[in-house]
Amino acid sequence: MPATSELLPIAPIDFKAKADELLPEGASYDSCLNCGLCSSGCPASGLEGMDPRRFIRMAMLGMNEELSNTRWIWTCTQCRRCMYVCPMSIDVSVLVGLARGQWPDEKKPQGIVRSCDAQLRFSSTSAMGLRTEDFIEIVEEIADEVKESDERFNDLEAPIDKQGAYFFINQNSREPAVEPEELAPLWKIFHYVGADWTYASKGWAAENFCMFAGDDAAWETMVRQRVDAVNELGCKVWVNTECGHSFYTLWKGIDKFGLDAHFEPGSLITYYAQWIREGKLPVNADWNTMGLKFTLQDPCQLVRKSIGDPVADDLRFVARALVGEDNFVDMQPCRSANYCCGGGGGFLQAGMNEQRRAYGKRKFDQIMTTQADYVLTPCHNCHSQMEDIGEHYDGHYRVVHYWTLICLSLGILGENERKYLGPELMDL
Amino acid sequence: MTTKPRVYQTQLAVIGSGLAGFAAAVFALDKGISTAQVGNTGAIAYTTGYLDLLGGCGEQLLEDPWEGLKQLRNDEPRHPLSRVSDGEIQEAFSLFTRALSDMGINYTKPGERNLFALSPAGTTKPTLSVPETMITGVTAKDSGARTLILDFVGLKGFSALELVSNLRKSWPGLTAKRLEFPGMTTGAQLYPEVMARALEVESTRRQLAEMIRHELGDAECVGMPAIMGIHLPDRVHADLQRMVGVPLFEIPTMPPAVPGIRLREMFEQTFPALGLILVPQQKVKNVDLGEAGTVLSLKDSYGDVVIETRAVLLATGRFLSGGLHADRFSIRESLLGIPVTQPEDRAGWYRKDYFDHRGHPVNRAGIEVDELFRPLDASGVPINEGLFAAGILLAHQDWMRQRCGAGVAIASAYKAVEALSGYLS
Repeated sequence: MPATSELLPIAPIDFKAKADELLPEGASYDSCLNCGLCSSGCPASGLEGMDPRRFIRMAMLGMNEELSNTRWIWTCTQCRRCMYVCPMSIDVSVLVGLARGQWPDEKKPQGIVRSCDAQLRFSSTSAMGLRTEDFIEIVEEIADEVKESDERFNDLEAPIDKQGAYFFINQNSREPAVEPEELAPLWKIFHYVGADWTYASKGWAAENFCMFAGDDAAWETMVRQRVDAVNELGCKVWVNTECGHSFYTLWKGIDKFGLDAHFEPGSLITYYAQWIREGKLPVNADWNTMGLKFTLQDPCQLVRKSIGDPVADDLRFVARALVGEDNFVDMQPCRSANYCCGGGGGFLQAGMNEQRRAYGKRKFDQIMTTQADYVLTPCHNCHSQMEDIGEHYDGHYRVVHYWTLICLSLGILGENERKYLGPELMDL
Repeated sequence: MTTKPRVYQTQLAVIGSGLAGFAAAVFALDKGISTAQVGNTGAIAYTTGYLDLLGGCGEQLLEDPWEGLKQLRNDEPRHPLSRVSDGEIQEAFSLFTRALSDMGINYTKPGERNLFALSPAGTTKPTLSVPETMITGVTAKDSGARTLILDFVGLKGFSALELVSNLRKSWPGLTAKRLEFPGMTTGAQLYPEVMARALEVESTRRQLAEMIRHELGDAECVGMPAIMGIHLPDRVHADLQRMVGVPLFEIPTMPPAVPGIRLREMFEQTFPALGLILVPQQKVKNVDLGEAGTVLSLKDSYGDVVIETRAVLLATGRFLSGGLHADRFSIRESLLGIPVTQPEDRAGWYRKDYFDHRGHPVNRAGIEVDELFRPLDASGVPINEGLFAAGILLAHQDWMRQRCGAGVAIASAYKAVEALSGYLS
């Protein structure tokens, strides 16, 4: 078999020189002890004949051509677990991002490139190419259906461009594009707590595959459009739907590109927890009479890479309130030490299914060890990946959003909003 | 974008998350002291899991650490262990190992004698307490039980054959076998951590147990690298043992090894549930010592963190963990610039013979403390009434040579927490 470099002649980067510019203060390749904790704790180790330690050693040895050409950079999900376990805090993911950016678009995994292109094409910034006029139509249609089908929500609103609303809601495109009925549970929750919120007619989409493509300029364009949209509406808090990377991409992007944001980025999970504590969302686990067991997946982009353990605590607080203390069991490891599921970093879109599933085997084992019937996760990539590996490795669990259980617990979940629930919960 | 710093107020802030830092946190929580802890992965990641008290005196390996301590107090009165009584050390070890067991890793009860526990190279080392998953290796060796040692295709740094070759003289009943770990048969490099996590899955345990039973022959027990689970290893050990049908034991491996990962993950998970404010995997950037209290500043991935505290316990370790920093001329304490007792110049750091039984002076460099384990300035006065220190950052010990790393960490953390508890009240 020819070497990868012969297939993909990509201009080499001087990784060692670049590392000095990119690595955080106090971290350097020179301090690497070669201990291997990074590789030991990385599910991408061994894929494409590479692992994080090897990546660093090769960079130290100036093997820039090999590193610039390895396909391993598309199997690394940039989850930053290597840095988390490293005694010297060395971050391999920034170098992976750098290497990704060096690949010409035609060589990159096309799924990621297409998603980024789609985001750049319309002001919606939707990676699924959904245009705003279609989005608005879908939102109005679903809102009407909810109002008609449940009189408790006949004054429900799903506003677009509401000037001065407190929350600006960032919507993952998957719901409006593929499963519009899944939009409603979150609206019902907002209605229940009396939240003042709005969507926007531009920059409403959450995802950002340009970041995964290693295209910093496009990442900046994305974030800038969204920041402008929030600033124009004068919203106080930007909240994205249950989605992992979109929080990181905006929050980090504002800082990285020095953007002027007149609002605070927040996580929906933080607000779920707050509303439950305040009694605005009086959820309980009374519905779980069957003692269904639940575990949860901490999205790397939201927990380890962004807010850290405070949001991990909130994830658990909400989960326990929803399913009952005795019915919640953590995966091991978890919280900031959790493993990436293998769906992040664009891996799901990269078309490397065999590698992605090999990566996901560790997550599958974690889930199986819990013996949970359901996995809760507030991240669409985690959701899809865990469903896929569950099917692939013959697991018998389901993956579910938080909003589904919140509405189930409050008795406001519609019949058509249960696609991720098992038959045992269809009539509850 | 406005980001507000997260501000925490506590009675105690422990800086460092190695054995001394974790022990200090255990003792402080036990006393009901509100505690915050900050520190990134340090040398604890490389531990065998054994808790040594004192294993070496000159070239001699100690069977009785308590006799060794008597000698130490006589020969090295400034050694940190010389400043802690036998009773206090016993109490400290007992509290700490009980806490570890409560949190999820059972340890043997620290006793009167040292255990001679196995290393991956097939040597033994004197230590006071070992994880329950490892104790059968000690007793099997002592009784000369017919024992099968296993290693695995693709696992580096652990050779059953090497271990058996080195031990066979004193332990003739040893045999070695190499297995392919279930589900990991591609020949790619295996990591103990990955195998350990796989063994948390029951079906993997069943497959491995079946393979072991097949190779068992007349062996009375089986030793293998430390891979029996990360989380709740005793449960994995017991279940695997039940499936195989003979006693099993673990032997620590070369880094990156499971025992350190186990400890770190356990602390990171259980401490917050006990009310401790843990800022994991971060280092304190600035310490503002005041009369009435101290303010620690640091940054994590989400922004600024401020900890306002009345007392601070410094347990930042030595060079690897960043507590001490050496340049071409001298050694300094990294965070507060506390004076470091050290050889006059670099020429005095090492003796000519690497194996000189007296050890190297650089290894005894460290900070000075008073009887309350408060760091001292150049004139021998405590730097701050509320500042304490523990662990191998302290001067006048050579923890590697004397095999007393855990002993220094646990005993000094105990004393320091006793002292700061008095200060706080």
